[in-house]
Amino acid sequence: MQKNPLGKLLSTALMLTSVSATAIAGLPKTVEVDRGKVEAFCNENNPEWREAQTIEGVDIQESLRCSPDNPYSIAAEVKGTNNLSMEALMNTHYAMDGIIKKNDMDGDGDPDLIIIKLEVAELNGHSPDFKGVVPTFDIAPGIQPAMWVFAPKSRGMATNSFVGVDANPLLRAPSPVIRVEQGDTIWIQLENTHYFPHTIHLHGVDHPFVDVAGEGNDGVPQSSDKFVLPGQSKTYEIRPRTAGSFAYHCHVQTHVHLAMGLVGMFVVEENRPNNWVQTFNVGAGQVRHPSKAILEEYDSEYDLHYHAMDKELNSIVQRYNDPRLIAKKMNREYDMTESTEDYHTLNGRSFPYTLRESIIVTEPDKNLKLRVFNSTGEQLAMHTHGHKATITHYDGIEHNPAAQITRDIYDIAPAQRNDLKINTTDDGFHSYGEGIWIFHDHREKGITTNGMNPGGNVSALVYKKYLNEIGMPKAIGESSENLFTKAFQRRQVPVWQNIDEWNSLGEVDISGYVAPEASKAMEAETNSDSKVLAGNDEDDSLRNLFFGLFFGLFAYVAFVKREQWIALISSLKGGK
Amino acid sequence: MLKKLFCAAISFALSAPVLAEKEFENHTNMMDHGDGHLMDMTGGMIMGQNTDTLPGGCDRVAATKEITVHAGHKYAKKFPGRMYAFDVQEYQFEPCTKLTINFINDDSVRHQWMMHGLPKYLYPKGMFHMEVTGPGKISGTLIFPPGDKTYLVHCDIAQHMEKGMKGQLKIGKGSGDLPSIPGVTPYVIQDDYWDKTSVNDERDDEYVADPVEPTVKAVKAPIVENESLFSGLTIVGLAIGLLLAPLLARKFKDMTAAEIVSYLVELAKTGVCMAIKLVKWLMSLVPKK
Repeated sequence: MQKNPLGKLLSTALMLTSVSATAIAGLPKTVEVDRGKVEAFCNENNPEWREAQTIEGVDIQESLRCSPDNPYSIAAEVKGTNNLSMEALMNTHYAMDGIIKKNDMDGDGDPDLIIIKLEVAELNGHSPDFKGVVPTFDIAPGIQPAMWVFAPKSRGMATNSFVGVDANPLLRAPSPVIRVEQGDTIWIQLENTHYFPHTIHLHGVDHPFVDVAGEGNDGVPQSSDKFVLPGQSKTYEIRPRTAGSFAYHCHVQTHVHLAMGLVGMFVVEENRPNNWVQTFNVGAGQVRHPSKAILEEYDSEYDLHYHAMDKELNSIVQRYNDPRLIAKKMNREYDMTESTEDYHTLNGRSFPYTLRESIIVTEPDKNLKLRVFNSTGEQLAMHTHGHKATITHYDGIEHNPAAQITRDIYDIAPAQRNDLKINTTDDGFHSYGEGIWIFHDHREKGITTNGMNPGGNVSALVYKKYLNEIGMPKAIGESSENLFTKAFQRRQVPVWQNIDEWNSLGEVDISGYVAPEASKAMEAETNSDSKVLAGNDEDDSLRNLFFGLFFGLFAYVAFVKREQWIALISSLKGGK
Repeated sequence: MLKKLFCAAISFALSAPVLAEKEFENHTNMMDHGDGHLMDMTGGMIMGQNTDTLPGGCDRVAATKEITVHAGHKYAKKFPGRMYAFDVQEYQFEPCTKLTINFINDDSVRHQWMMHGLPKYLYPKGMFHMEVTGPGKISGTLIFPPGDKTYLVHCDIAQHMEKGMKGQLKIGKGSGDLPSIPGVTPYVIQDDYWDKTSVNDERDDEYVADPVEPTVKAVKAPIVENESLFSGLTIVGLAIGLLLAPLLARKFKDMTAAEIVSYLVELAKTGVCMAIKLVKWLMSLVPKK
């Protein structure tokens, strides 16, 4: 029957002699990959901070998520570091002169001169002393892309404590949301603590082209501004007349500096009497001290800042220490037109960490204000499960109320802001009822981390009924344990490991496995291609055997005749 | 109207001093918060101040010294490839010295002069720390413990130490040199100035935190490995070749090339005949249906 019985027999015999031969007809076994340590879903960050509270006269809304904002920091952000007691300020990382609020010039009960200080920090940066990054900020378990952020002026160390290298809570992505009141005099003082030049451009915010001293105020080096060099500072002066959701970003080498993270939201709240607004919303997310105007119409307010990063760009600063080399790689060698975005974040983190600090917690019959900002390089297609939101403002400006549209996908161009109103009335239109309703980018790459799902900018709108006592959603689907492991985030664990009793979609174990000879298809079904292929396999085995044999013989001859070889070589050398 | 004008006037009057270049500030009037922690409202701060408590093992203050340290971008000029530095990188003092540091920041941002590794019973968290936003000056005092030891002195603002603001302070003979001190010691991890790889290319040398080694490695190679010249069978062939070579050499010792070839053909023929016989015998074993 077989056309080449001898070859067949010979190769089979050789297979049998092979030490690593396994069962003739079986496929490789399945193994379970050790996923390593599973992190706690909630990192239990000061649970007492979650309650509604009043600190030195500042009302702070409840924040039931697992990792709430520090209420003492919020008190400092509302009152100013100059008006808060030393005792309260010691519970924060703010510098004594971080936020100065004074001068109620119109006598309406709130300060009208606000001095905001911003520093520039590198997260997950390089160290010439050890193989690791510092100070660390994980966007997902073990995922540490280098980032640059504007940060409120802090005091003391860049790290959170003396034992670890994790960044202090004011040094984090995204750059903080800045919130001011319409008509106030705002001085934004950029203290450039970074090793490259930077500026601040106030995107969409009412600001004069030059300040009172005649110096550039638009942040653009090509048209108005000098660089703010390392170690220098510069004050931008504004008095915004128009309220709305705007932005700020560095305008030096904007394509890369913005992508590195030097971009944040800038919100101008409508003027009201006795209106102390929360100057910074560090890490974005819930605004725990909403302005007077917002509370007239809404129950709660959320800042949602979407960002994306290309790991090839972000890793440059982790690879080199010399600023000249970093500048060369980033400014002259990196080609943004060939870039792809790998990490997709919401408020500085990717799923599943978004569940810890970027969920929206609500109850039925509430009105939520969402300010959505897209600082990625591409159009965003944000989608809410279970709800249809109404777009009330584009780029901070109210859309004609009669023409406002309600939909479930909100397309947001790069640098654009959409203000959304979500009504949680269970009417089958605005809301489908209580639940854990995820919301995410519907460009599917947006829901990946470095191309792997689940990840990316996914978060959830969670009704209180579905929230557990530590602030995590009471999910009734598959376990999220794998997602909270570093091994999973690094693609080492099969996405569907152990989904059934015998791990039918687990990892293939090829150790010691040798594929058996392919069966011959039944003659009638055989096509010529597969025969050729099978023949080639045999030929390769034999070819390799004979090659080895020849090589062995040659080696022996070469060894035995070594004296002649040496003589020959030396005679050749001598001839020269 | 009058009120508005008044507001505008105040606003301008107040804005002028801040928008002008910040003047040099000497932080001499700080509030004591206990435990050697001093602060003021304009960002001056000292932690671990100790002017009078002797560390264990010191029976007296061995010497009283005072130094002035400058910090800023301009001090990195003599160290190409750095961005921030102190004006001095190395200090040496006798054990049990009482030292006052006048720390002058010549930049317009924060800088720090921070020492680690001091005895924790005396210095909270084992640290002496001075911080000031420039241009400005702050002065702090501490008493060193006994023993030869090298202490790290640095600015802990993100990337300031990495980009050059680092020094070492030796007590007694010290305990060796620290790495990456500008002009003193090289980096532990050096930059590759010759790196020709395009920054746009994907790389696998990116840093990952606490690498997890999976017990089962990811599969990379295809299951059947026949492409490589050096497959398992090649090694088997090589082994057989090396073993057979001496035997064949003895066999072929006095033969001509033609004789060797004819011998090999004969051998192959015998082999084939034996194989066929074997097959026949094997087939006879299979019961016929």
